[in-house]
Amino acid sequence: MARSDIPLVSLALVLDAGETSVPPGREGVAVLAGDALQGGTAQRSGIELAEALERLGSGLRVSTGWDATSVTFTCMAERLDEMLSLLSEVVREPTFPPEEVDRVRQQHLAELRRRRMEPTRLADDELKREVFSAKHPYHRPLLGSPESVESLDERSVMSFADERYGPRGGGIVAVGDLSPEQVAELADRHFGGWSGPPSPEEGPPALPERGERSVVVVHRPEAVQSELRIGHVGPPRGTPLEDPLRVANSVLGGAFTSRLNLRLREERGFTYGVRSRLSLRRNGGAFSIGTSVETEVTGAALREAMDVFERFAEEGPTDEELSQARDYLAGVFPLRMETTGQLAARLAELIVFDLPDDHHHGYRERVREVDLARAREAVRTHLDPGRAVVLIVGDADRVLPELESLRLGEVEVRDS
Amino acid sequence: MLSIGFQTHVLGNGLTVILAPDRATPVVAVNLWYGVGSRNERAGRTGFAHLFEHMMFQGSAHVEKGRHFELVERAGGSLNATTWFDRTNYFETVPSHHLDLALWLESDRMGWLLPAMNQEKLDNQRDVVRNERRQRYDNQPYGDWDERLQAMVFPPDHPYHHTVIGSMQDIGSATLEDVEEFFLTYYRPNNAVLTLAGDFQPDDALARVERYFEEIPPGEAVPPVPGRTELDPVIGRTIRDRVEAEVPLPRTYLAARIPPLTEPDFYVADVATSVLAEGRGARLYRRLVREERIANDVLAFAFPLITGRSLLVCWVTGFPGSDPEVLEGALAKEVEGLANVTGREVERALALAETGLVRQIEQLSSRADLLSMNQLHFGDAGRLNTELERLRSVTAADVRSFAERLLGPDNRALLTYLPRKAS
Repeated sequence: MARSDIPLVSLALVLDAGETSVPPGREGVAVLAGDALQGGTAQRSGIELAEALERLGSGLRVSTGWDATSVTFTCMAERLDEMLSLLSEVVREPTFPPEEVDRVRQQHLAELRRRRMEPTRLADDELKREVFSAKHPYHRPLLGSPESVESLDERSVMSFADERYGPRGGGIVAVGDLSPEQVAELADRHFGGWSGPPSPEEGPPALPERGERSVVVVHRPEAVQSELRIGHVGPPRGTPLEDPLRVANSVLGGAFTSRLNLRLREERGFTYGVRSRLSLRRNGGAFSIGTSVETEVTGAALREAMDVFERFAEEGPTDEELSQARDYLAGVFPLRMETTGQLAARLAELIVFDLPDDHHHGYRERVREVDLARAREAVRTHLDPGRAVVLIVGDADRVLPELESLRLGEVEVRDS
Repeated sequence: MLSIGFQTHVLGNGLTVILAPDRATPVVAVNLWYGVGSRNERAGRTGFAHLFEHMMFQGSAHVEKGRHFELVERAGGSLNATTWFDRTNYFETVPSHHLDLALWLESDRMGWLLPAMNQEKLDNQRDVVRNERRQRYDNQPYGDWDERLQAMVFPPDHPYHHTVIGSMQDIGSATLEDVEEFFLTYYRPNNAVLTLAGDFQPDDALARVERYFEEIPPGEAVPPVPGRTELDPVIGRTIRDRVEAEVPLPRTYLAARIPPLTEPDFYVADVATSVLAEGRGARLYRRLVREERIANDVLAFAFPLITGRSLLVCWVTGFPGSDPEVLEGALAKEVEGLANVTGREVERALALAETGLVRQIEQLSSRADLLSMNQLHFGDAGRLNTELERLRSVTAADVRSFAERLLGPDNRALLTYLPRKAS
């Protein structure tokens, strides 16, 4: 996509190599491969590679998610040829030196440990564990478990890359101060002969099943705040009611002026902020409400949040709220596609989620067409407070009495 | 050389207006800097500048509580504000046909905030801010690092001794009288810069700005920053602190007192931190993360502050069981080692800085913010266009001299967090 007002190019190379494609026992190998990818190539050591990239004023960012691994960079347009040459080297001829793989593995183990101690991340991880059944991949942390990561080495990483890094199921998007023809020519020069592994045989994605209500407190003695989460499984990306659901979520907790934020922050002063979000991926998704509140108002804040959620699930948005949310989502959309980097990231989604080319182009139109009936249908179909998991990371001794008086269900207390 | 086209105007009430048209996308960024931050707070009122920023979203004479966010979101805009040591900024990006809305909202609270103030709003936002403090400082691993380092590097009578968030007690002590006094002292058009960047026609935009802002009366000159702003260039010794806390991994911070943003040496500091920690080719990453493998992650940056002196901070995070002596020693050694930096390392840092600056300018909101900053702190928005030249003028000899003068043991605060032992 050409954009010529600023001399930058952003490029994203998408590989069909997400964590969901990892065999059992190897959880975390996709992220490990991604993070160790810059450890060295057939032609240069990791240090030489970093030096070469950074002397071009750029650097590669490898991010591995559930559905894909993407390698992205932004550089001055005149550097694109050199950057593509380095990118091609990195993706096609990685060497995964044992000491580099081991180093990154140690970092991942440390990161897993860190996540257990950061209340927000701990709450996010525990919610997923509760919402998704043990046989669904989203049940576990993206990075894997300490046991699985411990068992990985340079051989497991290399064999993962051999099986998954290739042109099939992936692609390149570029945005910036160059014509599509120029980009095509450069891409062909550096990636033209790439064949890669054959397409893996994979069944259709396994969608998660909706569970039952559970109430969990993860005990963090003497915590000054409680992390609150309310959540349940959601539909996959591309689900027929996706747009109405996004509009409805904006009303409930997706915007500053949402019902949840107005009630918990602006009326009650319970929190710095509260949001509800949809994470929709290839193999299903999740809906979740999240906030942190002072320990002593934990019960009161939870009662308010459940009240707002339940009422919304029953009634759906009002006409006025719906029109506000449509205007907001349609309006801010272009603001989030301002830079070449933002545009490239959005276009990469077309590859990852196999969306039609005009998906983003038609987004504002589709949002504006969401009417009350479809918004309510989306709420009815996809929001379900009665089955939502309620999770608190906080001081169990102090929050339990109030929590039990809310009668949300039997409360399970765990150590953090 | 960058070439951002812009005009500067000063209204009769002293409001400086920067207009930087760019018709590429039908969007306009409105950015308003007030020359007030945590440095202006008096004793017993730490955190007030930031609390006040929250009060600016609670409605004004013609805008009901809650309407501000609602109107901007409805217009398809995004908005926020931040409080910092030396300034407070308010900004919204809106589709260009909603420029009037953004201007009206900003002008209503600049001109007519007080009639809408009441105790209930203040009580509510004091709670919100105290929750913000709990969430971001008190309940986060390493959350109080800046509070500790600032107190080590700046003496109690320097305005940077305390953090922007302030103390729990001071936040709770704020009164409506404080709100009124602060507003009348600092939130005046002659202490502000308004920048528009994006899709508008300059004459038309200026007429609109005049219509909304011209009748707001100016205030008196802003009083001097309280406390002692002149400090020795160095701390004078190494100050050490080790704390056991709820942290997952040991981490050592090293801070130094450095010249402020307004001195050429600040650019040297910027390059020095990039040589140390920006990218995988940076020294701390290469040596401590990759080669010696004693660090899990590293970071270094210089605070862009203007009042007397500023602050350079680096950190290394270790692994479970890391020896704090080893982390502290390794970090100090690498920082001192900048005294032998090579030209090649500086070139790498400058190449990264150049792309970084162009990326910042690419986004209208940050372009507007940089123009406001240069105008408020330097009296010249156009200084942004020569920023690359200033960066490129930094040499390896500059970095070596900087390290020798300012990164030695006579100018160092070392703070190490250690995981609390299981009881």
